[in-house]
Order: sequence, then C-alpha cells, then structure tokens
Amino acid sequence: MSRTYSVEPWVVDPLKGFVAEADARMVLLMTPAGQVIAQYGFTRAVDVMAAAALGAAIVSAAGAVARMLDEPVFSALNHQGKQHGIFLAGFDTPRGRMVVLVVYGRESSPGLVQLFFEEFARELVAKCPEPEAPKPILAKDFERDLNETLNALFRA
Amino acid sequence: MTARLQRALGGVTRVRGVRGALIVAREDGLVVADALMEDIRGNAVAALAASLTRRIGEAARASGVGTPQFLHLEATGGALLAAAAGDEMLVVAVTEVGVNVGLVRLEMFRAAEAVQ
Amino acid sequence: MSPDVKAMTTELIRDAGSLVFLQLGEALRMEGQIEAAKKVARTGMERHPELPEAHDLYARILVSGKEPDRASQIWHELLQSNPRHVGAHKGLGFLSYSHGNLDVSRDHLELALAADPTNQSVIQALRAVRNAAEAVTEEYPSPAQPVPAELPATPSTATGETTSLFAAFGSGDHGILLVDVQGRTLAGGLKTPGGADGSSETAAHLAGVSQEMERTARMLKIGEWRWLVVEATDGNVHLTQPAEDTLLFIVRDRDVPAGRLGLLAESAGAKARAWLDGQRA
Repeated sequence: MSRTYSVEPWVVDPLKGFVAEADARMVLLMTPAGQVIAQYGFTRAVDVMAAAALGAAIVSAAGAVARMLDEPVFSALNHQGKQHGIFLAGFDTPRGRMVVLVVYGRESSPGLVQLFFEEFARELVAKCPEPEAPKPILAKDFERDLNETLNALFRA
Repeated sequence: MTARLQRALGGVTRVRGVRGALIVAREDGLVVADALMEDIRGNAVAALAASLTRRIGEAARASGVGTPQFLHLEATGGALLAAAAGDEMLVVAVTEVGVNVGLVRLEMFRAAEAVQ
Repeated sequence: MSPDVKAMTTELIRDAGSLVFLQLGEALRMEGQIEAAKKVARTGMERHPELPEAHDLYARILVSGKEPDRASQIWHELLQSNPRHVGAHKGLGFLSYSHGNLDVSRDHLELALAADPTNQSVIQALRAVRNAAEAVTEEYPSPAQPVPAELPATPSTATGETTSLFAAFGSGDHGILLVDVQGRTLAGGLKTPGGADGSSETAAHLAGVSQEMERTARMLKIGEWRWLVVEATDGNVHLTQPAEDTLLFIVRDRDVPAGRLGLLAESAGAKARAWLDGQRA
C-alpha cells in the first residue's frame, strides 16, 4: 500500500509535503549510487530497486554527456509520456548529493513538480543532519543494514 | 518568435497595476515567455496558473459551461488573471489590487491572438 | 422510464445474452430503481457467471440498496480472482470511506489508480479521501457520508429544502451549488445545457479547488483569495467561499456580466451562510 517510508526520519515530513503539493504518484529519494533513502507510492521492493538502479543510471549517463559537452551537471531531466511523466533531479546536501525520481500523472505537470521540487530540496538541505563519521564496513553489517533498510522502506 | 512573444506581453504590462505577464504552456505549466517585476517568481506563476486553470476547467466542464477562456482569481492583495491562447498556451498576468481588469483582459486577449 | 432505459430493455428482450444488461442495470441504479436493477444484474450474472463486471454491477446496486455488507463480500471475492479489479477497489474504497476507515479507503483507491492510472473518477475520489484524511489529522470532525465521484450514485441526496434554497436568483440560470471542501453537495443544484443533473460531478471536481486557490494566492503573495470568475465558451462561473470549508459555485449564461455575477454571489452567499448557521444550530 502506498505510504511514505524512509530510512531517515528527517526526510518524512518534507517528502509528504512534496507528494501532496506536487500531486506526485511515486517518489524515490536516493543517492547517485542508487541507495534508497525514502520512497512514496511503490508497493513492491523489486520495483523500488529497479527504479533506483535505472534512476542512478540515467543520472550517471546524463552526467557523462554533460562532461563531454563541458557543461555543468544537468540539474533536472523530465520525460513526458502520454499519461505519465518522469522527473529526475539532483541536489547537494551536507550529506552529499541526493537524487529524486518523481512519477506524476496528468493531474500534475512538469511545472508543478519542478516548482515544489525546489521547495522540497531546500527543506531537505535545511533539515539534513551533519554527516556521521564513516565506520568500517563488514559483510555481516552490510547484510544487516540492507535488511533494515528494506524493512524501513516497506515496514516488512 | 521570442521577440514577437515579448511584444505581445508588452501591451499587458503597460497597463498600470500589472506586476507581470507571462505566456505559459498550458499542459506543462512552464514559462514560454515572461515580462515580470523582480519580486515575481515566473515558474511559480506559470505552474500554479496552469494547475488552477486545469482544476477549475474540470469543474466548469462538468457543470456544462464548456472550456474556460478567461479566469480571474481575486485576492485581498492582488489578482491572478489567465486567458486561453488556443489549446496549448495561456496568457497570465499578476496584478495589484484595483487594476483596470477590463483593460488588462482586453490586452491579454490581444496577446493571446498574437501568440496563436 | 427514460428513452435510454427503454431502448436497452428492448435490446435485452430481443437478445437475452446481450451485455447491454450492464448499462441497463447501471442506468436503473442511477434512476433509483433498485429492485429492477437487482433483477437485471442477477439475470446477467446467471447468464455470464464468469464476467467480473456483472458482479461489480450487482455490488454497486447492493450499496445503493443499503446492503453494504453483501456488496463488500462480492467485491472481496472479485479481488480474490483478480487483485487488480478497479471496480472492486473503488467500491471497497467507497465503503471504507463511508465507515470512516480512511487509510483502508486510500489503500483501495491507490490500488485502483495503479491498475488504471487514467481513471478520473478514481483520481477525484482519491483526492477527496486524502483531503478528508488531512482534515481528520487536523482534528476537524470526522467525515460523514462522502461523495467520491460516481459512487454510490443514488439519484440525489438533496432534499426539497436544499434544492430550493437558491430558487429565483435571476435569469440565465444554470444553478447554484453549495459544496464542502471535500466535494460533497450541501445544497442547491446544477443543470447542464442538455438538462442533465451536473451537481455530483461538479461537486466532486471542486474537491481541493479551494486549497488550490489558497495555495496559489499564498505562493504568489497576493493575500487571501476572495473569489474566482471563469468565463467559459458556454457560460460564466463564479466561485466564492460563503463560510469556512464551503464553496458556492454559481453558473450563468455568458451574457450575464461578471459584475452582476458578483452581486448575485453576494446575495446567494448571504443566503447560504444563513442556511448553514441554521443547519449547525
């Protein structure tokens, strides 16, 4: 069932606000590497993982094209379909760069999504806690972290 | 193209009390051309005007009055006006309180004709 | 009996296996002829037991006939064989909403939307449920009987008093509708140029419009919205807020000037306020 789920509690309120204002159908907040931070509207873990992987790949490919053209990184991409649109944009936070993937329907528009994305990004940057010191990564910790993340995203 | 759109908006912004005028892609809610005072956020005006036009358009059609051609949202500190420019564009204006709406409306429809 | 119902009945008599029973049953339900609608739907189900739409129709008729438990059972059975059945999710969404189970209602409507992302009635219903959920969160009174688009489509819930509230409000009259912010009709009515009742559909589309205007005015820093006028191809519309959480929607011919529409709205608004005060007392 579609609810707002997040592994980072400070993300929940801004994400809920963004979904309501932009009339978004699905939202994925992730790192450029495809690690999911929060989601709204996805019903299956497999869909989240696939969308995150594809979103990260698009951001990476767009970045490569930008470098070829000696352009700064593209800040936002929009693909307009007949019934759905996809909006993909990145922004910097104290915890590094984050990427937002938004799926919206005809009840919204690229203009609304772009407008409220700007507010969403500003709010996230303002609420983002300082980064924690990196810890050594162990295989068993990785597996536990992965399970905890999936549980948080789907309340399994 | 851009010069023609800017000229079309010039007639609207020349009316006293108009703080900005834009041509907006109706479906996308994105700015096509604008002539705005500094404190007006063009992307916000475009997105919100297109969204409001669409939402109120659904209610208008359900009530049997057809497709909206002109919309006037009056607020305590100003107004938002939107005129249809064909099926794909809107001419939008943000005004102060007490503006001559009749004159702005006339100029907006002139601009709409120039856009089509 | 309306000409459409008559024509569909004739068609069904001519060909008892025709799928026209689906439209006929729905038309009878809309006209409030519940027993006749049930009979048509049951006969259709006997002839087409594998047709999910026949069961969906029967469940809708049961809701209109005040048998929600039996309807719920049918929709749940439908979902067991087809978990993506839009009608079943819509129906269960409506029933849950009626019982104040907003979370369950939203879940069903979101699943309906996932199955059919272009279904405008589901979009409208979902919007109404989300608005209601927000209202509950903000500790407003819990929602009473909702009106998600298309459901339950009993002909009209307006009483003689509510439909006549705005009687005699000038010429070029297409009607006046008083709705709450969740898209539920409170009083009045609208007739489309074709003579059909446009009240429920218009009311459903007005759900969320006041928030949209409030947001627009706030973000553009033009103060608080007071009213909205729309000039459309076949008429003019005036929208105002006579009291908190309500909207007054006035429709007139195109030749009724905007200024006069404003005066009309003031008078109708005063009348609406007095009526609302009376209802709340």
